[in-house]
Amino acid sequence: MKRARPLLGTFVEIAAEGLPDPALDRAINAAFDAVECVRRLMSFHDPHSDLSRLNRLAAIEPVEVHPWTARVIARALALHHATGGLFDCVVGAELMHWGLLPDHGFASVQPGRSTAVQFMAKNRIAFRTPVALDLGGIAKGFAVDRAIAVLRRQGVRGAVVNAGGDLRVFGPEATPVHIRDPLNPAVVWTAGFLNNGAIATSSAAETIKIVRGTKVSALVCAETRAPLTDCNSYSVVAATCALADGLTKVLAQIKRTDVPCFKRFGATGIITIPVGTSPLAA
Amino acid sequence: MRWTPFVAIPAAFVIVIPAKATVYLTTEQAQRAVFPGASFTGVPGRSGVWRVSTGGYFIIDRVVGKHEYITYAVGISSNGTVKQIEILQYNESFGSEVREASWRAQFVGKSAGSALQLNGDIKNISGATLSSKHITDGVRRVLAMYETSLKGVQ
Repeated sequence: MKRARPLLGTFVEIAAEGLPDPALDRAINAAFDAVECVRRLMSFHDPHSDLSRLNRLAAIEPVEVHPWTARVIARALALHHATGGLFDCVVGAELMHWGLLPDHGFASVQPGRSTAVQFMAKNRIAFRTPVALDLGGIAKGFAVDRAIAVLRRQGVRGAVVNAGGDLRVFGPEATPVHIRDPLNPAVVWTAGFLNNGAIATSSAAETIKIVRGTKVSALVCAETRAPLTDCNSYSVVAATCALADGLTKVLAQIKRTDVPCFKRFGATGIITIPVGTSPLAA
Repeated sequence: MRWTPFVAIPAAFVIVIPAKATVYLTTEQAQRAVFPGASFTGVPGRSGVWRVSTGGYFIIDRVVGKHEYITYAVGISSNGTVKQIEILQYNESFGSEVREASWRAQFVGKSAGSALQLNGDIKNISGATLSSKHITDGVRRVLAMYETSLKGVQ
């Protein structure tokens, strides 16, 4: 059984097998509910999300958030540390400035780093400076992981959850995985076979636009704070989709698949250069 | 986790998909998925609009994007809010140039064992995120139609 819903600003497809139809239906519905819950908590676009409350208030006082929000932020901070700062979720100010994220009337957003975010207690978070956190680099992968966790708990034999290109497979069989050419959507190539794992892909190509005469995108270089504007796509295979999703942002900056920390994470990087362009254009 | 890379040279296994259709649900299956246990009565003069026995409406609409057209269903609760959205069918189509040998030629000869295929059943594609914004626009249009011509009508 395979179903799809528009969620997280993209199409989320859930395929599952190995249970009678009514049970599969219930399992898939519950998995979609988990994805919707992640959206409700961590959407930058929704002014009522946990994330928007943090961005509005955490520089003034500690904010209590849902355990899932706290978990994603804790992972984002750990990834920031493990990647020498290359993974950084504190890019809200830049993306708002470039018109890629909405301004919900935040008082005075300043650029900053993940080090501005601190845990005061298990689910209580404060910002040292008025930064804007954007979980767009990891929350979609986390939502895919939650959906897979729900499906497993409900007893399905095998499942694939694909949130607009960030996907995770679960089950006894290896599944072929394809990667789309970043500039030619009609073209895909077979990257490999995946068993109980995840792959995520990021590309500046999807969000590039010209703002005030400058080319911008939703991928930000952690060091220079400049937008990344090459048209390659950067895929990462890892055990969880949140990790794969997060590490694509690191690969997009380093642009080499032999990133030292990938080995530690058991992750594999894949760079797809659009057909017909020179690798040097990256 | 186990990952088995297929090949070191991507272009050797390029697949061109001129058109791809994925059917998720039939109308009846979508009705059951959105309003379980209810019965449905077509609204006269309006195709794709059903009144639901338990209150509310079930509406089928289609949106067209740059390379895709999507048939989807919206369940509207009796209080006029969106209950659920389900995709019925997702079609991708990449136009005539993809069918032309000259366009496809650019992918050939990238490596020795170049195996250019045309294939309609490719699953599990990772890649740049596809926007669902046109569904959001479509739902807004459906809700406006509900407000002006369905709401309160018996």
